[in-house]
Amino acid sequence: MIQVRFHGRGGQGIKTASQILGSAAFNSGFQAQDFPLYGAERRGAPIVAFTRISPTPILERGPISNPNLLLIGDETLLNDSQVAPLCGADESTIVFVNSTKSTEQIQKQFPFPAAPLILDLTDRCQNFLGKGHILSTALATAGARILGNIDLKDLLEAVKMELGQSLKPETLQKNLELTQDIFHSLSPCTIPEKPIKALASSPLIELKQTPVHEAAPIILAPGNMALRKTGNWRMQRPKIDYDHCNKCLICYARCPEGTIKIDEDGRPQIDYEHCKGCMICAQECPGHFIQTIRESEGAHE
Amino acid sequence: MIKTHKRVSDLHPEEIITPGTGLCAGCGGLEGLRLALKELGKDVVICNAAGCFTLLSVYPFTPLQGSWLYTTMGGPVPAAQGIRDALDVQLKKGKLPSQENLQVLVVAGDGSSNDIGLGPTSAALHRKLDFIYFCYDNEAYGNTGFQLSAASPFGSSTQTSPSTHEHPAGAEKMKKNLFDIWKAQDPTYIATVSPREPIDLSNKFAKAKTMSGPRMFICMSPCPTGWGFDPKDAHVIAKLAVDTGIFPIKEYFEGKVVHTKRPRKRLPVEKFLERQKRFSHLFYPERCEDVISQIQKNVDDYWSHFE
Amino acid sequence: MNKHSKMMLTGNKAAAWGVRLAQVDYVPAFPITPQTEIVETLAQWFSDGTLTGKYTNMDSEHSMFMAAGAAAATGVRVFTASSSQGILHGMEALYTIAGWRVPLVMVNVSRALATPITLEPDHNDVMSTRDCGMVQLHAETCQEVLDFILIGHRIAEHPQVALPVLVNMDGFYLSFTREPVVLPEPSEVARFLPPYKSEQPVFKASQPMARASAVFGGATYSYFKIQQDLAVRQAETVFHEVSEEFAQYFGRNYGPVENFMMDDAEFVFVMSNSFATKGKAAVLELRKQGIKAGLLKLRLIRPFPTQAIADSLLGHHKVAVIDQNLSPGMGGILFPEIVTSLYSRINRPEKFLSVIGGLGGKDILKEDFFSIVEHLRSDKSEGPLFLYNDDDLKQFKKVSHIALAEKGGSES
Repeated sequence: MIQVRFHGRGGQGIKTASQILGSAAFNSGFQAQDFPLYGAERRGAPIVAFTRISPTPILERGPISNPNLLLIGDETLLNDSQVAPLCGADESTIVFVNSTKSTEQIQKQFPFPAAPLILDLTDRCQNFLGKGHILSTALATAGARILGNIDLKDLLEAVKMELGQSLKPETLQKNLELTQDIFHSLSPCTIPEKPIKALASSPLIELKQTPVHEAAPIILAPGNMALRKTGNWRMQRPKIDYDHCNKCLICYARCPEGTIKIDEDGRPQIDYEHCKGCMICAQECPGHFIQTIRESEGAHE
Repeated sequence: MIKTHKRVSDLHPEEIITPGTGLCAGCGGLEGLRLALKELGKDVVICNAAGCFTLLSVYPFTPLQGSWLYTTMGGPVPAAQGIRDALDVQLKKGKLPSQENLQVLVVAGDGSSNDIGLGPTSAALHRKLDFIYFCYDNEAYGNTGFQLSAASPFGSSTQTSPSTHEHPAGAEKMKKNLFDIWKAQDPTYIATVSPREPIDLSNKFAKAKTMSGPRMFICMSPCPTGWGFDPKDAHVIAKLAVDTGIFPIKEYFEGKVVHTKRPRKRLPVEKFLERQKRFSHLFYPERCEDVISQIQKNVDDYWSHFE
Repeated sequence: MNKHSKMMLTGNKAAAWGVRLAQVDYVPAFPITPQTEIVETLAQWFSDGTLTGKYTNMDSEHSMFMAAGAAAATGVRVFTASSSQGILHGMEALYTIAGWRVPLVMVNVSRALATPITLEPDHNDVMSTRDCGMVQLHAETCQEVLDFILIGHRIAEHPQVALPVLVNMDGFYLSFTREPVVLPEPSEVARFLPPYKSEQPVFKASQPMARASAVFGGATYSYFKIQQDLAVRQAETVFHEVSEEFAQYFGRNYGPVENFMMDDAEFVFVMSNSFATKGKAAVLELRKQGIKAGLLKLRLIRPFPTQAIADSLLGHHKVAVIDQNLSPGMGGILFPEIVTSLYSRINRPEKFLSVIGGLGGKDILKEDFFSIVEHLRSDKSEGPLFLYNDDDLKQFKKVSHIALAEKGGSES
């Protein structure tokens, strides 16, 4: 059985990617299973989805902790200790990252267990679909190609099955062209077998009673939500042009998250640790003094 | 005297909701609640009904400087009753110093407010419960993926009122008039507010804070996820809702309804409709003139009572 | 009032007196037959100043339980009452407030559930709350009703329990039945159950807190549920402690179960609530005829007093569990719980019989107990035995003929 885990963000089509791969495997005669993991998160928030593929019936359900193939749609997630997309990957795991960087560059930055495969899917999605952030077809194709056991025609059929209902014919056609392009840009890999571990018992414990404030969902730390950094939701980053900002504070009033603070000089300051990148501030700034920058570029400024 | 806000810099500087929540980027309702709490301050306890805002506090985190109680979808108002009564009993018996008192605030979506929780709310209005009700109205069951609620407007498509050949309009019923339903029970105060009008919103909460008895707010909550628009346009949409006259900004106090932000010259409703995916079936593949003109007529009829 | 004065009280009045003696701060209420007399009495006492605090007429049981739980989370002593359909209507709220881990006491006056709608008792209503995570005490007499409310507050408010406690009594058979009840001296009650002071965080300005927030992840959810289980189990230890103290104050000693003529009993009836009184009478009659019968009455239903039940039943040969409830397609609800309590023990009874009786308030006759003994003696199948006889069927036929417009029907 091959277990594939997808990482991306709400709105990028990560769930659909897992379904295209599942259908492609099904079309190629395999047993398949795919599903997303929903949390309390929304558009822009990190999302995980899974596909299992096997020649024999699949006797497993639920999340995949030790994947054979890891498909990371958004490289900014690698910075995120909460998502930890590399969690459970070992030397036998093939890791694919959608990135503009070289393998060497990205390996220097993050602790990959082995050299990852890299291709800039965003660029291709931008070219073919005009939408760089819609990764469903691209990520599924990368997965199918790396696995090497799924025919291109089965994959194309799967794209039609999963997207044909909701897309206009011309958009579907562009997705099919995108599929062919990415399929031919990557080579199949040999997926190493995972070592089989002997089954040992789980270290079950007997819980002791704790006081009510610990034994029930009670939170005595007001405002501790700020510990969660939602800055990693951002695909675009607002940047205030202080040379022109006239401190009207419209951006401050409009920010749903309260991530724009007023500094001592009365100037708005964006809290990038939490800003989700909704870009309302940029849209609403009366003088258009807030720029919109692609996050993967803005982050290095 | 209540201090009246005139400009954005007058807004209360303290943030009662910290960032970091799991709500959608660009949520209009969150913006409304953030501004409301700036006025109400941190000595509040929020009774929450199941809905999008239930995700405000997810264990082990709370974004609030004040208190929070998740209840059920139909039970936030009775929970508010229990808390109010318990505080009053303790105040009366001298067991609770007055500085420990709390403002009881219900936070519920339009689904809870118009449907499953309306009965208990009506009962609390009847009992003249001393509380503030904040309904974030995104005109559908948003938390479950955008299904029809009694607040879904005529002509909008939701997951359970799709536009089809048989039912081209999508939602075929008119949006329930929650404002007037509440008004019939004569609460102390009712207001509609929009995150696009922070000064108006803040002044209304500042005013309500000084009153007692039932005080109710409907906050129009542009929903990028459910309505289908780019999050950055949340306030553009909110402004169009006001400028087309679809969302009247008003208050009810001492028996009178006053429009506090009246559109000078109303724009055609389609300016609001055409920017949202939930109304796209009214324009593509072909224009549903009858539905659009009915929506326009409803808006015109509403304003004709006040012109 | 004299020390330990005695009065003729219905079960409902006894409940109200329990609340009065407990100096409860807050009662959210909603009427339902056969419970209404409790809240009417309390409404009077709150209105005339006998009780201080607040009584609020609510709009439904769902609202009532939410208000009760929320008030308990705000630090006051809370009581409420319901029955039957009301319990079902409020079921979501019951699970919710039990999960909040807040202390309060509620009375359920048992009444059979629709459909068909009726007014008379059986225990499907209270059994439906079995898995909510509340403590349950079931009363046989009006005295037990009053005493269990006092004991119930002590259990509920114990920091290691911190849960709603439900006290059950049968509609009509207790609720509207007057019998002598000893009223404990208020000053002694005040020592046994001092005015409430919460030992857990409560809502107030100086202590912002979030309660009952959403939980994602099975490890956290499971932790809280296991803690709830531990707290309910802990209630048995607390019950023993509190009961002993209660006995010292008031002279009445309550164990989790009561053994009646059990020492040499060959045939044991397991029962709960008011019909246990009928069971005791039947045991005496059977003994007169040389049949060694005995009765085990259950008081504590949650936590289920497995050890006490085993201690009582081990060594006895034949046991009939009389459930006044029905899980259609399975049988009595308490039967499998009793069997489970004994299954892994040596010297367990050789024969268990599940008996269903008293549904919708249908009487259980002394003759029925004789029939049960015969069944226990025979090799008949182990399926549930319904206490339904020829006369019952005749009574039914009399009315069904009319309903179906069949010939031979009459209204007489």
